[in-house]
Amino acid sequence: MTELTAAAQEANGHQKFHFTREMMRGNAYRKYEKAINAIWNPRDLDYSQDIEDWARIPEDRREALLGLTVRFFAGEQAVAENLVPMIEAAWALSRFDWLMYLSTFVMEECKHAEFFAVWHERVAGILEPDELAPYFLEREKTVDPTGRFELKEVVHEGIPRYAGELTAAVHGGDREEIERAFLRFATLYNGHVEGVLTMPSYEIVVDTCAAWNALPALSAGYHRILSDEGRHITFGTSAVRELIAAHPDWEQLVHDVFDEFRGTIVGLVEYQKAVPELDLQKYQVGKVRHYRNRCREMGVTPDETLVDQILDPSIDFVVGVTAG
Amino acid sequence: MAAKKKQFVCLEAGCQQVIQADTDEDLVSAVQEHVSKAHNSFELDEFILAGATEVESDS
Repeated sequence: MTELTAAAQEANGHQKFHFTREMMRGNAYRKYEKAINAIWNPRDLDYSQDIEDWARIPEDRREALLGLTVRFFAGEQAVAENLVPMIEAAWALSRFDWLMYLSTFVMEECKHAEFFAVWHERVAGILEPDELAPYFLEREKTVDPTGRFELKEVVHEGIPRYAGELTAAVHGGDREEIERAFLRFATLYNGHVEGVLTMPSYEIVVDTCAAWNALPALSAGYHRILSDEGRHITFGTSAVRELIAAHPDWEQLVHDVFDEFRGTIVGLVEYQKAVPELDLQKYQVGKVRHYRNRCREMGVTPDETLVDQILDPSIDFVVGVTAG
Repeated sequence: MAAKKKQFVCLEAGCQQVIQADTDEDLVSAVQEHVSKAHNSFELDEFILAGATEVESDS
């Protein structure tokens, strides 16, 4: 803790005032303003139609949808917890604009988790951990039958591990190491997980509500969450772009992060295939757009081998098949 | 002096559609309409603004 305090004091030059006109014109501050103006409350949504719809939806369809929503519920809690090192890093780097924006980021991730708590409790009648666990589909149990790709648990293992690396860098007190670890964390969290991997799942839930002409509160909540996520993702990709501009050779770090979790991103996993009437190819092709968008925002050249693999129709992951 | 326009290139696989508008708001609307009609999908406003560039207008 002594080292952390010393590093932060050295970094910020004992500044007492952080606001400048330039800071208030900047990207992070603009996102903070937008977040403050866009605050919404999950408890203001009307869940009554969802409760009626749920009663008439067949059991197998309910279970398929819960495979998606329960993972979102767990995921929102995981990412909220793992934002703490980003805040520590903003402090250590004397980035008050990042700190201001991250204060809304944490609040929003907690609120997203609250939305899922309210929806699952009121509509599906489940909330306690032992009620949710049966619907949580383990990503590691989805495998590539060809053995080419390994599917890692990026949300519940990768992000906490990268968060630990960022915390260690902050405590080490070396500014460049903190920036490098921040870039890796933002690439994984904002670029890979939020920015590419999860986007098809959001769209699948939204499209499912439309296809079933049901669950308007779930759909409304997802639209609200997506709007918040747009700020989260582009905060992270903008920070990565800024760090690469200062350290051009760090572009490779972005590719290394995507490489580590390549298998997780190239195919649709089992819980994303839960609703049979949807056109899955649309989500797979869309994933390429999200990946290329994130690369453009970060200022890095897309890895076209990853694009080719995402579009490769022979890659089809399944549950319970031993690789090789 | 040529006026500046906002420009966004759609990066959907096989698309590369170039969309231009005079303002951020118009660009967001035009891109969202394109992605909805051409790809049956959506693009968040923050993604559009983050991916937009300023270009010289031809008109």
